[in-house]
Amino acid sequence: MLLFTLLLAACSGGGSQKEAWKDMSWETIEEEADGTEVRLYMWGGDEGINRYIDEWAAPRLKEAHNITLERVPMDAAEILQKLQTEKQAGKQDGPIDVIWINGENFKNAKENELLAGSFTDKLPAFNEYYDTEDPAFQTDFGTSVEGMEAPWGKVQFVFHYDADRISEPPSSFEELQNWIHDNPGMFTYPRAEDFSGNAFLRHVLYAQAEEPSDIYENPLNEADIQPAADRTWAYLKDIQPDLWRSGNHYPNDLTELDRLYSQGEVLMTMGYNESRAESLVADGVFPESTRSFVLEPGSIGNTHFLSIPFNSSNPPGALAAINFLLSPEAQLAKFKPDYWGENTTISLDQLPEDMKQKFEAVDRGDSVLSTEKLEESFLPESEAAYVEWMKEQWFDEVVQP
Amino acid sequence: MKQNSHIFLVLTLLFFLIPLLVLVAQSFSAPWRFQTGAGLDWELRSYEQLLQNPMLWKATFTSICIGFVVLLLNVLIGVFTGKALTTVPFKGKPWVEALLLSPILIPVLAIAMGLHIFMIRAGLADTALGVIIIHLVPTVPYSIKVFHNSYQQIGRAMLEQPHILGSGFFRQLFTVELPLLKPALRSVTFLTIVISLSQYAITAVIGGGRVLTLPLVFFPFLENADASVMSAFSLWFAVIPVWMYILVEAAILLLPYSRLPWRNKR
Repeated sequence: MLLFTLLLAACSGGGSQKEAWKDMSWETIEEEADGTEVRLYMWGGDEGINRYIDEWAAPRLKEAHNITLERVPMDAAEILQKLQTEKQAGKQDGPIDVIWINGENFKNAKENELLAGSFTDKLPAFNEYYDTEDPAFQTDFGTSVEGMEAPWGKVQFVFHYDADRISEPPSSFEELQNWIHDNPGMFTYPRAEDFSGNAFLRHVLYAQAEEPSDIYENPLNEADIQPAADRTWAYLKDIQPDLWRSGNHYPNDLTELDRLYSQGEVLMTMGYNESRAESLVADGVFPESTRSFVLEPGSIGNTHFLSIPFNSSNPPGALAAINFLLSPEAQLAKFKPDYWGENTTISLDQLPEDMKQKFEAVDRGDSVLSTEKLEESFLPESEAAYVEWMKEQWFDEVVQP
Repeated sequence: MKQNSHIFLVLTLLFFLIPLLVLVAQSFSAPWRFQTGAGLDWELRSYEQLLQNPMLWKATFTSICIGFVVLLLNVLIGVFTGKALTTVPFKGKPWVEALLLSPILIPVLAIAMGLHIFMIRAGLADTALGVIIIHLVPTVPYSIKVFHNSYQQIGRAMLEQPHILGSGFFRQLFTVELPLLKPALRSVTFLTIVISLSQYAITAVIGGGRVLTLPLVFFPFLENADASVMSAFSLWFAVIPVWMYILVEAAILLLPYSRLPWRNKR
């Protein structure tokens, strides 16, 4: 019994010291972070992203702040599972210091109290160079951020096509519909369970609503969106017979669709990250004539974030590392196509003049649309509940009948 | 008979050798877009990318170390349990045998998640030792089964003979039993190493990313349309058990009464 009580005490204690960083000044945080090790847990399936962390960020962070940044490849869902078990077991000195997260995972993490708390107001880089009031940083798939994650980058959904085989890509969902009928078997989209396939379907829903804002400004209410949903299913059933393999089979994930496009079996692919085709073209996976386009009424974009788990054993180090990854230098290197080529969350107007020019001088590559075009077509993400809803309904409405 | 061997040859070529050769060819070339009518562009880019990955060597080394320790523990547990099941008579033996096999009937991920809390409290989570222990779950049942069967084939009489002749326990083990168990040792080696090397989920849960094995680096790349890098990675992955098998094969030669290839008289 005594042992049990001791065990309980050991498990529940140690809270006060963990929170110490919340009252520290930035100078103290940087001092505390000096000479420490920070472990960044993130999805590891892209060589460009991995190299950006390993070859660009880690050595510079070591040089500037004497922090050793160690990248650990792991999927966000598994990270959360791990944190959940650690919380259950009362482990206070966890191995994870920083996680890469957004959307549904952030919602789960926040609801289960797996995060350290609000920290973004501590970060000098965030306060100085970012539009802290930007709605894209305030909510993440409809979940209020409350400073518990810092915006690291943003991506926009685009379609890719082979310019050698399509002279003029469609510009709206209506035109896409006609194009599919004119070119049977040359288009398909991944299943609703896939992240990208689901995004394609939500685009159709946006397009079939009176206004896209009817969807993204409102929480999911099935009765309200019924007319738009009916038009969405009608649209999808209309194109189905002219899809790849007559719509009898859909690619399981974006990778499958990418392979079909790579083989020239279909003429279009799609995906979040407006610049993702660049590295695939460079590696010879996609044809060199690959270009991208967006459809009216617009393209959905979202922000992804860095956050700190509740049991990080080095919160000051985590804060310093996140601040560094949000700095203009780190964002510029991430923006350049050399490693990652991803869009920045930084606010260009808040940058010093010479830095701003460096950002504007970056050539993102032929397959990437212009910044103006992307900004003009930007649509925010709807609530996370729509993703689940789409998964369930798509199968019943489109695949089953 | 002649006809059968022809069929065998054709089937082997069709389903084994040709796919493997395509894999090798793809790993040394740019992604092959065969439907566009293009041929193969030979290049070493995929291997460059593979070898540039700073985690590759570390992960390979960790995987090999864990694999060998898991193998050693498997042989120890398997040999003694197998022998006990054959030679020691006791009631309810079928139940014990069934119980020993049960870990492979329950999904190993469920076991790992349940054990995770225990491992955290015991300080074994996020350590190589914890990963080794969890790798025993999907391997030990097979090893026990294999050694048990082998001991049964050797038979009680053969095991009693050295005992009657006055040999001690370890002398009997090294001079009589292990040489006779060679085929079992080979099967267990291969099974154990391949199973341990390919565990992704349970290694990720228990090792928590701190113990970085090859699947942890390799599996995220499955979500990649770049067939060249995938092929190079797959070949790298396949070569490791082969090397480890050769090493074990060399160790087996050290057993007494082994017919050493360099002084094979017959």
